Amino acid sequence: MSHVRASLSASRRHKLFSVAAFTGLLGLAVSMVPTSASTASPALGHIGGSISLWAEWTSTEQQDFEAVLAPFEAETGVTINYSGKGSNMDTAIDAAVAGGAPPQVALVPDPGTVLALAKKGAIQPLAPVLGSEASNYGAAWNKLVTYNGKLYGVWFKGANKNTIWYNPAEFALAGIKKTPTTWQQLLTDAATLKRAGVTPFSLCTDIGWPVADLWQNVYLKTAGATNYDALAAHTIPWTGPTVTTAFNTLAELIGQPSYLLGGTKGALANNYPVCVDKVFPKPGTMPQAAMVIEADFIVSEIVGNSSGYTAGTAGAGGKKCTASPAGTPCYDFFPFPAPAADQKNSSAIQGSGDVAMLLKSTAAAKALIKYLGSAEAGEIWAHLGGFASPNKLVPLSSYPDPVTQADASELQHATSFVFSLDDLQGSWEPSLWQDMLNFVKNPTAKNIASIQKTMQAQATAALGH
Amino acid sequence: MAVVAVDRQQGRAGRKGMRHGQHHLQSLAFLVPGAILLLAIVVWPTIATVRYSFYNGTATKAVGLSNYKSLFSTADTLIAFRNNVIWVLVFPFIVTVIGLVFAVLSERIRWSTAFKTVIFLPIVFSVTASSLVFTQIFQLDPHVGVLNAIVQTVDDWFSPPGAYPLSAGQSAASLATSGVVVAPHGALESSKTVSAGGTVKMGLTGISADTLTVLGARPAKVPTPSAGTVTGLVWRDFSISNPSNISAVYPDENGFADLHLALVRSDGSTVATTTTDAFGGFRFADVGPGNFRVQINASNFKPSFSGTFWLGPQSLTPTGNLSQTAEALLSIPLIDISMILAYLWIWAGFTMVVVAAGLAALDREALEAAHVDGATEWQTFRRVTIPMLAPVLTVVLVTMVINVLKIFDIVVNLGIDASQPGGQASTLASDVYYLGFGGGVHTGLASALAVILFVLVVPAMLFNLKRISGK
Repeated sequence: MSHVRASLSASRRHKLFSVAAFTGLLGLAVSMVPTSASTASPALGHIGGSISLWAEWTSTEQQDFEAVLAPFEAETGVTINYSGKGSNMDTAIDAAVAGGAPPQVALVPDPGTVLALAKKGAIQPLAPVLGSEASNYGAAWNKLVTYNGKLYGVWFKGANKNTIWYNPAEFALAGIKKTPTTWQQLLTDAATLKRAGVTPFSLCTDIGWPVADLWQNVYLKTAGATNYDALAAHTIPWTGPTVTTAFNTLAELIGQPSYLLGGTKGALANNYPVCVDKVFPKPGTMPQAAMVIEADFIVSEIVGNSSGYTAGTAGAGGKKCTASPAGTPCYDFFPFPAPAADQKNSSAIQGSGDVAMLLKSTAAAKALIKYLGSAEAGEIWAHLGGFASPNKLVPLSSYPDPVTQADASELQHATSFVFSLDDLQGSWEPSLWQDMLNFVKNPTAKNIASIQKTMQAQATAALGH
Repeated sequence: MAVVAVDRQQGRAGRKGMRHGQHHLQSLAFLVPGAILLLAIVVWPTIATVRYSFYNGTATKAVGLSNYKSLFSTADTLIAFRNNVIWVLVFPFIVTVIGLVFAVLSERIRWSTAFKTVIFLPIVFSVTASSLVFTQIFQLDPHVGVLNAIVQTVDDWFSPPGAYPLSAGQSAASLATSGVVVAPHGALESSKTVSAGGTVKMGLTGISADTLTVLGARPAKVPTPSAGTVTGLVWRDFSISNPSNISAVYPDENGFADLHLALVRSDGSTVATTTTDAFGGFRFADVGPGNFRVQINASNFKPSFSGTFWLGPQSLTPTGNLSQTAEALLSIPLIDISMILAYLWIWAGFTMVVVAAGLAALDREALEAAHVDGATEWQTFRRVTIPMLAPVLTVVLVTMVINVLKIFDIVVNLGIDASQPGGQASTLASDVYYLGFGGGVHTGLASALAVILFVLVVPAMLFNLKRISGK
């Protein structure tokens, strides 16, 4: 498992950094917004003592998380010794369990870790602790952390990769009034944008992980979550028909060089986060493309480029959204659309999240788990921004803007939720990214067949089956 | 190098010890700290690496030679090996020649100290910083990358871009929307023929509203027809209020200003040329009898040079029909050359200083004798200076060979994605790093590759050692 974890870091690095910056910026803005919802903690009573708690969050995110913990500490008299482990969280918890000195409660960014620790008997089942609170999460979420029929994790924070971000002013230039809900409509809108002289997409390629995320979205929408999980575990082959379909579907977009900023050559030189800046530029430059396909963590990059960016399509102060970031620029997203024939998969979502687990069953630790699973805990961070909770009880009104609300709503209503497939591939993950870049370079049927064969060989060699 | 130094110290200490027995123990005592350090940070890790190379990825199970087998069975290692070969063949020679040229030239100019300082400066910067500078220089977008900006300026000078340049991946044919077809030789022309007194409307899309506005476009207006004249309109056939309706001229649609047009006969011969006005209108007066088509010159849409991907994977050698193995071995990726350029910038100062030191120590009498005998500057340089400098040049060359055999820092910093195993810029040293500490941590494979790299460096090292100890 250790190599699986290490491979996460490359893609997560960006995300952690961006989310931290995002939270910082929004934190400033939101502190002025009056808090309407109640932030009273659930009735826990006095417990006392102290708990060790580990999670990945550091710097600004750590401050936000500590704000979440403060009411718990005040109410129960429990002192929480928090330690932010950054992108090493999975490795750190593995090492701590092996070394015999784990924290009492930990949040990990990988449900695989929860299942592995549950198998070892290193963590406690949560049903007796949570009681009815377990039903605050969709079945899709609980399924991810259920081992042998028992629930071992409580989700606290979610991230959504099922998003296409667009610059509303660029859509207006092409007279597009409604965001697409099917893959076909997305392609039609791309053609309309192109006719209006607007390049539809700034395709993020970087070292391949953004293309992998995009391909995984297409695979999830065309093949469904069951196939997705099977492919992630490599129980179905990369040479199979569902994989071919996903590649062919994506080729309908990638195979149109004029839809990609800079053509195929320019797309292959489009690093993250520069690819985001081309759609949501800094003041002084104009957008060069209308859409960028990335996860919700890019919001940090957008609002980092100019504090003038407003969430949604209305524009600040009732003014029309402008393309110029010096005016009233806006950003918004629409859910990654499924093909018309596969609309049953439209609420299947790819993303990531942080899940809390109980390593030592003390009264204080159990109370903390219960608190983290409560709506109150989620609401506190929701107000601070840069956060979306999979918890259905966290009211959408507690999020600072309509875009974050829509984002959180998607997470809460996911019919199935899958994690990034590439992050589960262990040692061949960098090869998978290379294969994806190879596909962008030459998205023909012949090359797709050859890429599938290569991927099958790489997966077999790396995973041993 | 450290090994030699200590060996020689030991030798000296030994001899002294025999002559002065009482100093023997004292000498040993002085040696112990150094020896311990050497054992701990050089000898032991070397032995451990060799041992790990026969173990599995987590160093828990012996697996015999399987790490070496799997290294030699993938194209990844071949690519890394090929890149090392390219580095070794290209870099040391060029950097030595540049160092020699700079050293010789700096002897003959004023302000030579200032010149040497500037050339030497890059070696003081960290390679990471230099790589960041070159990442910018090599950027694809000519607005960012200086190198592409230069190429673009020169290119635009020889063949200027059109007023309505196509974007990357866009074809002129895709602009044709209503009343326009693609002529057999690729230009756009009116789909209908027209004769004197007639009017043609040609609708184009795919060019942004901003581009037209900047060129002073006004709302499209069909000019009034007149006898003996072919009139018409070229306009942006895209209305925000009616995005899906084409061919009708809406008030929110602008004309193409300053578009170069030609009136051609069916045999392709040009009758007249003109340009459109701000409303997109045009007129060819006194055209005479016959049927014509209006052609839009392709030069209107000529894209500006969009940049060369200096850090891209494209190969300088054709690799079309090669097998994967042959391609891995035979292609010379442009990124290698770009990285070598950056590395030359970094190291030229170092070789210059070493060669200059050699030059300063040269026997001036031999040079003067050559001059007296009537040798030209070139002959003196070629027949006297270079042979006398040969030992210095060899040391520089071999040092640089060792330097680039283990080339790592610039590859990882400048290559970034391309330096991943299997990437076009990867080298043995970068593969060792990524296999051992990157994506999938595999101590066995990384150690095996490190051992291979070690074996490759040994001959060059022995050569240098022999030279040093021979003196």
